[in-house]
Amino acid sequence: MWMPLLGLLFGAILGSAISFEIPIAYAKYMSIAVLASLDSVFGGIKSVLEDRFDGFILLTGFFSNTLLAAMLAYLGDKLGVDLYMAAVFAFGVRLFQNLATIRHHLISRTLRNLGPDKR
Amino acid sequence: MRKWILPITFVCIISGLLLALQFKIQASQTPTPTEQRNEILVGIINNLENEISTYQQRIAEIKAEIETIEDVTASYQDDIKYLQQKVQKAKLQAGLTNVKGRGIRITLDDNKSGLLLAPNDDPNRYIIHYENILNIITELKLGRAEAISVNGQRIVSTSEIRCVGNVILVNTTRLAPPFEIKAIGDPDRLEEILLAGEYDLLKSTGFPVSYEKFTEETPLEIPAYTGTFQFNYTTLN
Repeated sequence: MWMPLLGLLFGAILGSAISFEIPIAYAKYMSIAVLASLDSVFGGIKSVLEDRFDGFILLTGFFSNTLLAAMLAYLGDKLGVDLYMAAVFAFGVRLFQNLATIRHHLISRTLRNLGPDKR
Repeated sequence: MRKWILPITFVCIISGLLLALQFKIQASQTPTPTEQRNEILVGIINNLENEISTYQQRIAEIKAEIETIEDVTASYQDDIKYLQQKVQKAKLQAGLTNVKGRGIRITLDDNKSGLLLAPNDDPNRYIIHYENILNIITELKLGRAEAISVNGQRIVSTSEIRCVGNVILVNTTRLAPPFEIKAIGDPDRLEEILLAGEYDLLKSTGFPVSYEKFTEETPLEIPAYTGTFQFNYTTLN
C-alpha cells in the first residue's frame, strides 16, 4: 500500500541527488512529461479503485501520452504556436477529473464501510 | 490487489524523478524574491566597489600629480631662495628693514646756556639749524655710513631735511631738539670725519654736542623706513 508513496519519494530523492540537469531549452518538454506521469499515477489509482486496473495499459498509456505530448510541443515550437499548452491543459483537466473520481470512490467506499456500524 | 502495486510504483518513481528534475530547472531558472533581492544587493555592492576602485585610481592620479608638482617646486626652490635673498638685499639697500651694527651716535642740542649769557645776541646763532644736520649726515655718508637715522627717522633716498618754522622736517615728520643722529659704519672712520667737520664747528662755538661710539657687542639699532616710495612720473627706461 505504501510502495507507490515510497517510490515517489525515492524518485524525488534520486532526481535531486543526481547532478544531471536538463538544459533549459527542454524545460517545456519536461513540464509535459511531469504532467503525463502524474496523470498516469492518478489514472492508475482511479482504475484500481474502479477494479479495472491493467498494468500494461497503464505503462503504455504513460509512454504514449508522454511521447505524443512531446511531439506536440516540438511541432508547436516549429510552427510558432504554443501547442504544448494543449497538452498541459488536457493533462491538467484529466488530473482533476481523476482526482475527483478517486475522491468520490474513496468517500463512497468509506461510507459503505462505516454504514452498517452507524446504523 | 497485488498486481497494481508494482506498475504504479514504477510510474511514481518516474514522476518523482521528473518532478525533482523539473523543480531543479525551475529553481535555477527563476530566482526567488530573496535571491532577487540578494542579486540587487550584490549589484549595489559591485557598483560601490567599482566606484571605490575608480576613486582609488583618482587618488593615485592626484598623488602622482602632487609628486610631480613637488618635484617642480623642489627644482624651483633654489631660484626662490636666490630671489628671496635678492629681495632681502634690495630691502636692506632701500632702508626698509630694521638694522643694527657698529656705529656712532651723535647728540645735538640748542646752545641754551650760551643764549642766556648773551641775551642781546641774535638767537639764531644759538640754535641747531637743518643745515647743521644736513652737513653732518652728508659727512657721515662720506664716511661710508651704511644706515643713518635722525630721531628715529631713517634717512633714505627720498628723505628730506628741511627747516619748517622752529622745527625740522625729516620724512615729513617734525623733529625738535635735542637731535640724535645714529649712523652704522666704521666707528673710527666716522669719528675721524666728524671731528674734522660740522660737528667740530658746533663744538667750538659752544653747542652742547656729544657722540658715542658703539661696538659689535653693544650694537646700534636703526629702525626701518616706514613710509612709501611713490613713482608717479618715473618709469623704467
